Amino acid sequence: MSTFMNPIGLQPRRKRGRWERWWTEISILFRIQFAIVRDSWAWVILMATLYPLTTLLFMRFYTVNPSDEMVVQIIAGNLVFGIIVMGMNGLGQEIALQKHQDHFTFYASLPISKNNFVIANMLRGLMNTLPSFLILGLLGQWLYGVQLHYSPGLPVVILLSLTSVVGIGILLGFWSPTFQFTNMLCQALMMIISFLSPVMVSIDQLPVPLQWISYVLPTTYAADAMRSILTVGWSMGVMLDCAVMLVFSIISLIVVNRLVSWRVNK
Amino acid sequence: MDSWIYEVECVNMVYKKGKIKANEDISFLIQRGEILGVLGPNGAGKSTLIKQLVGHLKPTEGQVLYNGLDVYKQTRVVASEVSYYAQEPHALSALTAMEALVFTGQLRGMQKKPAEREARELLERFEMTELGNKSLKRLSGGQKRMVGIGTALIGHSPVLILDEPTNELDPAKRRLVWDLIQEHNRNGATIILVTHNVLEAEHVVDRVAVINHGKLLAIDSVAKLKQRVDQRLKFEIQTAFGQREEVEKELAEWGILQRSGENRICLLVDKAQAGNVLDRIISRRDLKIEEYAVLPPSLEDVYFHIDQAAKEVMGA
Repeated sequence: MSTFMNPIGLQPRRKRGRWERWWTEISILFRIQFAIVRDSWAWVILMATLYPLTTLLFMRFYTVNPSDEMVVQIIAGNLVFGIIVMGMNGLGQEIALQKHQDHFTFYASLPISKNNFVIANMLRGLMNTLPSFLILGLLGQWLYGVQLHYSPGLPVVILLSLTSVVGIGILLGFWSPTFQFTNMLCQALMMIISFLSPVMVSIDQLPVPLQWISYVLPTTYAADAMRSILTVGWSMGVMLDCAVMLVFSIISLIVVNRLVSWRVNK
Repeated sequence: MDSWIYEVECVNMVYKKGKIKANEDISFLIQRGEILGVLGPNGAGKSTLIKQLVGHLKPTEGQVLYNGLDVYKQTRVVASEVSYYAQEPHALSALTAMEALVFTGQLRGMQKKPAEREARELLERFEMTELGNKSLKRLSGGQKRMVGIGTALIGHSPVLILDEPTNELDPAKRRLVWDLIQEHNRNGATIILVTHNVLEAEHVVDRVAVINHGKLLAIDSVAKLKQRVDQRLKFEIQTAFGQREEVEKELAEWGILQRSGENRICLLVDKAQAGNVLDRIISRRDLKIEEYAVLPPSLEDVYFHIDQAAKEVMGA
């Protein structure tokens, strides 16, 4: 293992290999993000669960003798709604706040890769969202008295649903021109995406212009995959949805990395 | 190895489509191993310049070279060799003091064990050993700042850039920070520090850059800058309560007056006039001067002198 002396000769810094450096950065940046979740986990769960749980209960009171298909649609829609609330709305606002409180200055002045910082934030988005996801799934099943289909492919659908939506939140947060603007944009997008795209309803129930718009939203594929896997299990349709969500996740990472400059503000 | 670590060449920074000039034609060199103080009032353009040195802000024109490399093209090299302290470590506020230091050291390329050892040593120097496992959120403003300074010091980077490092610190902690800065410099680190605390910085810095209105007004060693006001002496005068204005009126004709407190004034006069001023103070017993001292000018006086001269030139 090679070492190099710091030019002032006090502390030898070991020159790390590429993968070791990547792992050190990711694990430490993740631990910093984990500490933020550790600090406020009760609020995180409350916030992530409150909106979708309210909608879930409202729909339970509103619908009379719903079919099994409709019940799965309601539960799957609310699971995705939970991801939108925390993964896009919450994380977008949180990163925007960090940006405008100058947190990025600290990270940008360290020799770390922006990609790793973005991935660490994405992992925090997953940590924020996963508990409410599980709570809502179990509560939905109990409230509506249905037996959901638990396919071994479900974790893949959950993971890709989270990464594709969290990617939008990270993009909004990094791009944020002002905190107030990002706050309003995230809130507006949360409502529009949740209620005017095929999250709670199926795509053919929407007007044609909204159907077109829906095709460019990852939530459309997340909700579709969730509905299918909870009803019939892993299928070709679920696989296609997963492929599209993977593309969305990769695109959001690339866009954040390319468009958002954290060291050099021109 | 070149003796210049930084070369700042004709840097201009313009905001809002040319309406606001944050930097105007700034050029200077920073010598390897020196302590350079950057002085100037609020809004002078100091922080803009510092952000350009660390590669966080690209100037509209001109270039900044670090060891001959363009800082905007080699941001990772700069980040691995230049430690930058800008404020309290808000980004780490969910961590304990120990975690904040160790994690920063590791992200800067240290191994875990040496990072832990150095973090413990720093906390000991800061007299904060027992607070190591306390969350930063639960520390006082001054303690958080010390941890922030620790995050800049850990890893012994060859260059330290510190923006107002002694702000909000008590006198003992300020002294400690100045000592640490000098220690790092003795070990070979180049240090660039922005400060308002001119009097304390005077004993630490090798050279001073004076900036105002985005322009570099002067850059030289403390001794050479003092020569600019060498032909002058400073009277520090304390008047009786409510008598300051009358004393100012009486002495204004002899030199440059600065108000340094409700009942305190400083008068910078040519050495040739010092006798006349002294004579006036002694003879006018009705002036109610409680205390006075005659001193050689300090770096603070030099700063005011340069700023005053620049204002006169701009006014003309």
